[in-house]
Amino acid sequence: MIPQREIFWNIPWVWPFYLLSFISVFIFFYGLLKHILFWKEGIKKQRIRLLLKGIKDVVIDGIFAKRIFKGDISAGIMHLSLFWGFFGLFLGTILLALDHYLISFLKGKPYLLFSCTLELFGLMLIYGLVTAFVRRYIQRIKRLENKTEDLIVILWLLLIAITGFLLEGVRVAYQVPAWGKWSFVGFIIGNIFSRQTALEIYPFIWWTHVLLSLSLISAIPFSKLFHIMGSPISIYLNSEPLQITPAEDREGRFFYLKDLVQLDVCTRCGRCVEVCPSNGVGEPFSPRDILFMLKERLFLHRDKEFDPGLIWYCTTCGACLEVCPIYVAPFRIIRQLRSQEIEDGTRVPPIMIQTLERLYKYNNPWLSTKKKRAEWAKDMDITNITKAKERGLMCYFVGCTTSHDIRAQEIARSFSNILKRCGIRFGILGKKEPCCGDIARRLGEDGLFEDQMEDCLSLFEEYEIKEIVTSSPHCFYTMRQEYPALKKGYALSVIHYSMLLESLIKDGKLRFEKELRLKVTYHDPCYLGRHNGIFDAPRNVIKAIPGIELIEMEHNRENSLCCGGGGGRMWQEELDVELKMSERRIMEAHNTGAEIVITCCPLCLIMLEDARKTKELEGSIKVMDLSELVLMAINRRRS
Amino acid sequence: MNIVVCIKQVPDVTEADLKINKDGDDIVKDDLEMVINEWDNYAVEEAVRIKERHGGKIIVVTLGDEDSEDILRRALAMGADEAIRIDEEGFEGSDAKGISLALYHAIRDLDFDLILTGAQSSDVAWGQVGVLLAQMLNIPYATLAMGIEIREEKAVVKRELESNMFERVELSLPALITIQTGINEPRYVSIMGIRRVRRLKIEEKDMDDLEISQDSVGSSGSIIESKRVSFPLEGEGAEILTGSMDEICERLTQIIREKGGM
Repeated sequence: MIPQREIFWNIPWVWPFYLLSFISVFIFFYGLLKHILFWKEGIKKQRIRLLLKGIKDVVIDGIFAKRIFKGDISAGIMHLSLFWGFFGLFLGTILLALDHYLISFLKGKPYLLFSCTLELFGLMLIYGLVTAFVRRYIQRIKRLENKTEDLIVILWLLLIAITGFLLEGVRVAYQVPAWGKWSFVGFIIGNIFSRQTALEIYPFIWWTHVLLSLSLISAIPFSKLFHIMGSPISIYLNSEPLQITPAEDREGRFFYLKDLVQLDVCTRCGRCVEVCPSNGVGEPFSPRDILFMLKERLFLHRDKEFDPGLIWYCTTCGACLEVCPIYVAPFRIIRQLRSQEIEDGTRVPPIMIQTLERLYKYNNPWLSTKKKRAEWAKDMDITNITKAKERGLMCYFVGCTTSHDIRAQEIARSFSNILKRCGIRFGILGKKEPCCGDIARRLGEDGLFEDQMEDCLSLFEEYEIKEIVTSSPHCFYTMRQEYPALKKGYALSVIHYSMLLESLIKDGKLRFEKELRLKVTYHDPCYLGRHNGIFDAPRNVIKAIPGIELIEMEHNRENSLCCGGGGGRMWQEELDVELKMSERRIMEAHNTGAEIVITCCPLCLIMLEDARKTKELEGSIKVMDLSELVLMAINRRRS
Repeated sequence: MNIVVCIKQVPDVTEADLKINKDGDDIVKDDLEMVINEWDNYAVEEAVRIKERHGGKIIVVTLGDEDSEDILRRALAMGADEAIRIDEEGFEGSDAKGISLALYHAIRDLDFDLILTGAQSSDVAWGQVGVLLAQMLNIPYATLAMGIEIREEKAVVKRELESNMFERVELSLPALITIQTGINEPRYVSIMGIRRVRRLKIEEKDMDDLEISQDSVGSSGSIIESKRVSFPLEGEGAEILTGSMDEICERLTQIIREKGGM
């Protein structure tokens, strides 16, 4: 006899199966349609192009789920087995259907191979499910928040897998085929049953298996299993660069397809909560919960109570996106929410209103007049581009905080001094320098952001500025990534000063002659590192100084911990809880044993400097900007 | 429920280094940002909230130069429906009576149920305009409102008294109420909100339109004249520290130590 499987063996009534299949597929598509209709409002707004990177990401991060392995190998293996087990069995069923209804090919050796492979997939599925169960209910991994749905999904799939094997075993027990050992699991199970019992119980098990499987199919769009369909879209859309629609073309609720898909497919794995710096110090904020609440309100139309005050906690540090297996970016969705709250106006916290009004009136958030903007440069003989005859100078864009905050002004002075020593020609915009718009944009005040951007761009145009170097990673991000998203044909070259220092060292223009025996650690500013991918430039500058030992903190590079100053939090101390984000960070820096923590962002500098004082670490660790360190190193030559 | 809100533009002095002008009768306003008077901001918000509950329309009125259109647009963005600017020309140097008279002439023919004004303005702080206006219109009024409830043809007003006391008064409409800060939390007005109302027309009126004669307003019509403004004199126990930041800090900690603060 040729090895093969007889379809619908021992099932006299097949037509109910076809009817039920039809119903379950119908429900599945109905559910799918509901999701698509939910996404509809975002589809028109979303730019969707054919992107090779997108396809590559879908394969690597979707089919092989690479990002799930990040920091949690057990989760990676679990998901991979679950996915391949599920997917493999699904493919197997399709092959079987093809074999039955179209061309028969599953016989002989191919059948044996098929049969054996399905056994493996089945085992993988069970392994994945058991691991999932253990992780959730025995290990009780903290980031996993257990809802009834999570348990049901595991048990349901487990029952399907078990009844599947049972079914096979019972069939093998009755038919006792010569090739039975190929279905090795079924073969072992088959030994339990007598032929008679096998024949009798087979239809019951078959129907149980069929009902469980069909109902699972129809449940996919209505449960977290929907991520099977949605994740590839979320992963693909991540390759589309940042998109910004002018505030004037928006009214009321505004989400891109990307945002809607993301909040729709989130499986609440909690990685974002685990790395969220706000959540980490005990603030009542969780990116996952905000997304889930949004899904409940917008998609499931449940009237859930939601405290709109929560959205102001986010520092927009981007740690959540960094760890999300399917590139969900809660901080971007939260920014969109802020923008809607700002336009509505009635629920904006008073302290935020103060910051924004100040920002509008004085063009900086520091309660300092425009006149004082260039005070740091007094007696420094720095070219003011707006007054000089020379055109096309490299513009040092100082930024609000570096201009107005007494501590941060040191960055401007040190950096300018370094440039002078290296003989680099540059100029500043003096009193006329506007705010780049970062704070307005982060807080969702998009009209103000656009005004400030226009102010900057018209100044750059007036003085023929082509090259810009910024002190703040925030200005850097805004000008490098957000201006081009709004302005077609934007062709300014914007770099962060750490990048300029790095290239000056490479070109031999910046040299360190004497040793500086110091142990330092480096704090990655979120907007330089995660948001712009600049991790090495500042490190290379530090390492170029002879004698310096650079020790890394536990959280470094893309896993860096936010200082708590971004996303407008700098001006909202009201939201702080007992432990501040900056304090947690300075403790981590202190624990490395370093004498100095180096950073290169004015906000980080101020936040860490304050934390050093409140944590009474003034005697044991110093906070310095990269420019200050470099200046100190070149000054050594003279002593 | 038609509501008229009287608002005023004032210089923002919260963090400014104030200087007194040559004549010594006013501060130098050239470098100061102009904003809506804080009390008036609460009044506009309260009007919008009443409108949201009871319907009707809101008309905002100001007496000022062209720059003061900014606060009218801001009020429109908050939810007002119409705006009137009485041109300041000829009204300069008016006392409270002169200003009230201008408002009276602009408002008397409007169809209104309620007039809201700020309890006072942050620049001159007379606190009289609302009350005088109510007298001229011959309608009931309540001052320092910390809550307004509209019931049929009446307004129930919660008034703020001294020592944490409140008084509840009932006024038949139309009435005038002056608003105290803290009655509500004024909404945020976004740049987009203001941009959206930039095309709305602001009605302009001048002295002639309002049929007001020059001798009843302006400095000539005033019984009060500002003679001199001054900073508080340096008194006993007050000291202004000068020098570099380090010197100031050092001296400050020294003083705190000496006085037993540490």
